[in-house]
Amino acid sequence: MRASEPELPRPEDGDRYLDGLLARVARGDQAAFEAVYDDLAGPVYGLILRVVRDPAQSEEVSQEVLLEIWRSASRFDPAKGTAATWAMTIAHRRAVDRVRSAAAAAAREQRTAEVPVPHDAVADVVEASLDAERVRRCLDGLTESQRESITLAYYGGYSYRQVGERLGIALSTIKTRIRDGLIRMRDCLGVS
Amino acid sequence: MPLPRSSQHTLTGAYALDALDTDAEVARFERHMARCQSCTSEVRGFQETATRLGTAVSRQPPTALRAAVMDEVPRTRQLPALDDGARHRGPGPRLAWLPRLATAGAAIGLAAAIALGVVLVNTQNQLGQTQQRLSQARHQLTMTKTELAAINAVRTASDATLVTKATAIGGTVTVVASASKRQIVVTTRALPALRSGKVYQLWLIGSNGNRIRSEGLLVLHNGQTGPILISGVLSGDIFGITLEPAGGTVQPTAKPFVAIPA
Repeated sequence: MRASEPELPRPEDGDRYLDGLLARVARGDQAAFEAVYDDLAGPVYGLILRVVRDPAQSEEVSQEVLLEIWRSASRFDPAKGTAATWAMTIAHRRAVDRVRSAAAAAAREQRTAEVPVPHDAVADVVEASLDAERVRRCLDGLTESQRESITLAYYGGYSYRQVGERLGIALSTIKTRIRDGLIRMRDCLGVS
Repeated sequence: MPLPRSSQHTLTGAYALDALDTDAEVARFERHMARCQSCTSEVRGFQETATRLGTAVSRQPPTALRAAVMDEVPRTRQLPALDDGARHRGPGPRLAWLPRLATAGAAIGLAAAIALGVVLVNTQNQLGQTQQRLSQARHQLTMTKTELAAINAVRTASDATLVTKATAIGGTVTVVASASKRQIVVTTRALPALRSGKVYQLWLIGSNGNRIRSEGLLVLHNGQTGPILISGVLSGDIFGITLEPAGGTVQPTAKPFVAIPA
């Protein structure tokens, strides 16, 4: 069953391109979903790979997330944020769920000591390299402990308690550090 | 020990990065957020910011992923739109032993939702909730005002969906779900009395069936139960109830006599 509506929204339509596509996906439009896939599979897979690290598991989680986008497209509410954020929030939650499961966490503890920072990842970027450059620049603008807190929590999938333990920072401080860092990132990136 | 309100507010960042420590902490923060407009908008800005961090590490996925996803799409049931609650939900999940959803049960209107609200208010003083986490000692909690507020917050969430379903053994089960809160509220009516040595056990079953979590035992008072709040629900989860030996089990030993997408 292919698209019954002739014209799909196009990337040139701007920020809300994906919103329009998702509305079509919610009505069971598989062609629209293929366009959504083309737009989101890279970011979704890249983020999950960064958090989960194991490529096979990352592929599995990515598949779950992309199918979840198909399944729950009707639940996307453009009033609450962009389609990309809706999708990436699902992706991040699923990735974190995977690494927090006991067995995975135990295995990971053994092989991680390093703090993941996105500098090396920039080379892997397939799209949006200008955006990635901007993210890197904004991360550089944080204090070291803000940057470490945010990258450990977001890219590492650690809870703020674990982040505090790893960095030797008190729990009450770590919450504030993450929030302050995000405020700076948000303002630096020009997120409204 | 719940944190004071001001302290909850500082959790916006950790929440937006999925970095809260436990499901209970997530539930508590979401209850706070439900009545804190500035938290809600701050979280949205942070989630948008996190998305930039995420897209910055974009990677070309393996080519096999596309085919794997597109193969599954025609077989994957889509959720109905929220303003279309009366529409028949499509084929059930891929777990062979999960029954397909009854169409009639899904068609619940506003009147029923309001009636449920009245029931919630009327039973406010007699609400009791027992949760048994199998990893913990059995203990009983008296439902606090906070929990009642959480139940009401789910029930009145803008994305709340309500499904009532007759069970295979009689009686009905109602699930009010809020995807944004990752919580559901379960109420039951007229379930058969338990034979001695048997309990009703609640489960959350992950979308591909490989993650099954006990949500404790159902405590009946004269055949009725108070509303039960279940947190940490992931999209795609199925809520089910089974009959199990006294004390409950780690994994279900019987097919659920009722299963409802959470």
